[in-house]
Amino acid sequence: MGGRDATMVLLDENGIRCDGRKIDETRKIMIKAGVLKNADGSAYIEFGDNKILVGIFGPRDVHPKHMSDTDTGILRVRYHMEPFSVSERKNPAPSRREIEISKVIKEALEPAVILEKFPRTAVDVFIEVFQADGGSRCAALSAASVALADAGIPMRDMVAACASGKVADTIVLDVNNEEDQAGQADMPIGYMPNLKKITLLQLDGILTPEEYKKCVEVGVNGCKIVYELQKKALTDKYFGNGSD
Amino acid sequence: MASHSVIDELKKTQILELLDQEKRVDGRALDEPREISIETNAVPKANGSAKVRLGDTEVLCGVKIQPDRPFPDMGDKGIFICTAELLPLSHPSVETGPPQPHVIELARVVDRGIRESHMIDLSQLVIEKGKSVVGVFSDIVVIDYDGNLFDACSYAATAALLTSTTPKWTMVDDKPTIVNGEEIPLPTTTIPVSVTMGKIGNHIIVDPNGDEWDSMDARITITTNSDGNICALQKGGNDGFTQEEVVQCGEISVRVGAKIREKLKEAQQGSR
Amino acid sequence: MDNKRKYVIPGDLVTTGPFRPEQNVLLEGNKIISTSIGISEIYDDSVRVIPLTGKYIPKINDLVIAKVLSHTSLSWELDINSCYVGFLPAQDVFGRDFSAHADELTSKLKTGDLVAARIANFDRTRDPLLTISDRDLGKIDSGALVQISPSKVPRLIGKRGTMIQTIEIATNAAITIGQNGWVVVSCESTEGLLKAKKAIQMVDEKAHIANLTDQVKEMLESESES
Repeated sequence: MGGRDATMVLLDENGIRCDGRKIDETRKIMIKAGVLKNADGSAYIEFGDNKILVGIFGPRDVHPKHMSDTDTGILRVRYHMEPFSVSERKNPAPSRREIEISKVIKEALEPAVILEKFPRTAVDVFIEVFQADGGSRCAALSAASVALADAGIPMRDMVAACASGKVADTIVLDVNNEEDQAGQADMPIGYMPNLKKITLLQLDGILTPEEYKKCVEVGVNGCKIVYELQKKALTDKYFGNGSD
Repeated sequence: MASHSVIDELKKTQILELLDQEKRVDGRALDEPREISIETNAVPKANGSAKVRLGDTEVLCGVKIQPDRPFPDMGDKGIFICTAELLPLSHPSVETGPPQPHVIELARVVDRGIRESHMIDLSQLVIEKGKSVVGVFSDIVVIDYDGNLFDACSYAATAALLTSTTPKWTMVDDKPTIVNGEEIPLPTTTIPVSVTMGKIGNHIIVDPNGDEWDSMDARITITTNSDGNICALQKGGNDGFTQEEVVQCGEISVRVGAKIREKLKEAQQGSR
Repeated sequence: MDNKRKYVIPGDLVTTGPFRPEQNVLLEGNKIISTSIGISEIYDDSVRVIPLTGKYIPKINDLVIAKVLSHTSLSWELDINSCYVGFLPAQDVFGRDFSAHADELTSKLKTGDLVAARIANFDRTRDPLLTISDRDLGKIDSGALVQISPSKVPRLIGKRGTMIQTIEIATNAAITIGQNGWVVVSCESTEGLLKAKKAIQMVDEKAHIANLTDQVKEMLESESES
């Protein structure tokens, strides 16, 4: 993103951020479960300007066969961005960034899913980013967890995700695109809220040990906010009042 | 598409029996397309975008407009590129990896309809002749599959282009540089509309749904422009059409296409 | 809904204490946690969650509706709407005298055919083995296939078959329910067929509602008057 305003104020004297939020506030989040006809499970999330769709197939036969495991089902994750999802058109071929994110999201979901009952099968998680903004991996992970539950994949817990970070020497929740680029640190966190276990954790930037502690705390609180919205999405789909 | 999907025989029989009474499984008339819904500006960060639902088929097109080098022999024209991808979440049979021939055909048929109708006035998209031109990239992704991707993708691309805006560039120090100011609509000259028809037995049906698609003997996609002239065509499938049928399909494509063109115009006006 | 039944999603605490964990729950310390979206039930000393979504897991002796996908010279592969593809050996259809040279499999079943079959064998190590050699099993020649979530099959059957009987009587349809969520409806009248399909889809959508049988009855009756 060229031509950034060098004078942009990331945090004003009243503790208000460049997009009008307070330091402990997330952007606007909307999650919907069960949006696709063909997929076994699906979810759509809008998280700030992120627009991400996740579809699940499985457990199902593994192709190619040699990838299958006779003891358990396997989880496969593809995080994929559309060419039009970013400012400059993205080459349709998978980038190193997409491949890494696919891997960290897979490893964030692994502790939650229970696939031992489905030997020789695969559960495929397809993540499609229609529009990318700061924090797309957290948004994708949160939606993937809802989609897996929608598909009826047995899980120990949901995985909720949100980033925290350091902007203008202050620890803030849910770093946006501008803050990510002009700020000092970005820490995406994935969290199982009932089992209280962190399953995704990355950091770009420098934090003191005290800030690091605070950043994890703020991020985990953000995950709890996201978790409530995940619950709502599933409750809306499965336990609606039935009047229609 | 959906090469792994197998339609059950009972449904296939039902489709055929109903067609012999001039009826279709979902109650439509033979020349009636499914409900079309068009949501423009579905991806605000793109220069133009549209999500189109055609029955239960759902596709999304995003348009990116950015400076590019002209093709060597076409220095006085902008560039138009159209791609299509069947997202693996759209159907269990879709595999990731290099695009399959039927997906490449899909992108090329959509591209041809837009290109051959001269929808985009490419001559207006030149920054410096022979050196720098404007590239229009229209990328289409299939989100949910229920037959007839040709038309769903074509309407999405057309709606996205009709609602696209572009900055202006000028050469500064030999580099294309954005001229500050308002963005202008992408210069377009006509609204191409494709109509895909399937042949089952000796019946011609418009906009086959997924089950009908799997029961088809042959298909034909005909694109018409705003003047009601035919500008691109693609026959597919393992059977043929009679000369009369081909003429009949041409007539249907003009008539049905005109109605769909009105919907695209509405979508264009609604986005302004 | 009484205190014992509640709506749960994965990770939700169902109860604590000395209970026996049954289907779709997990013991974590002394907590019993749900692993599925569904309705939790505590009775006597056991806890389970009745799921509202999920794929069909084959069980020996289950009746399923299956669709022929392909065949080799010795067996057919069938889609049973499950994590696994079912297979039906040629001997099961042709009998013991089956000869791969003389007998053409497509003369009995071809791609796209629907069959009513039973799961003859299935375990962790191999794909489900099907059989059609019993009364009421075999190729299905008429009717329409309706697909519902396998987790909602018990609801469609209802307590002692009440739900399905209600639908059959009101519509005059014959309904074969596969445990895999595939249901074949046949009916002399098109109207009855459509109504039966609608009722089945209603059960699929509203399985979590307590007084569903009444709602289905109401729908079936109101439609017949109009």
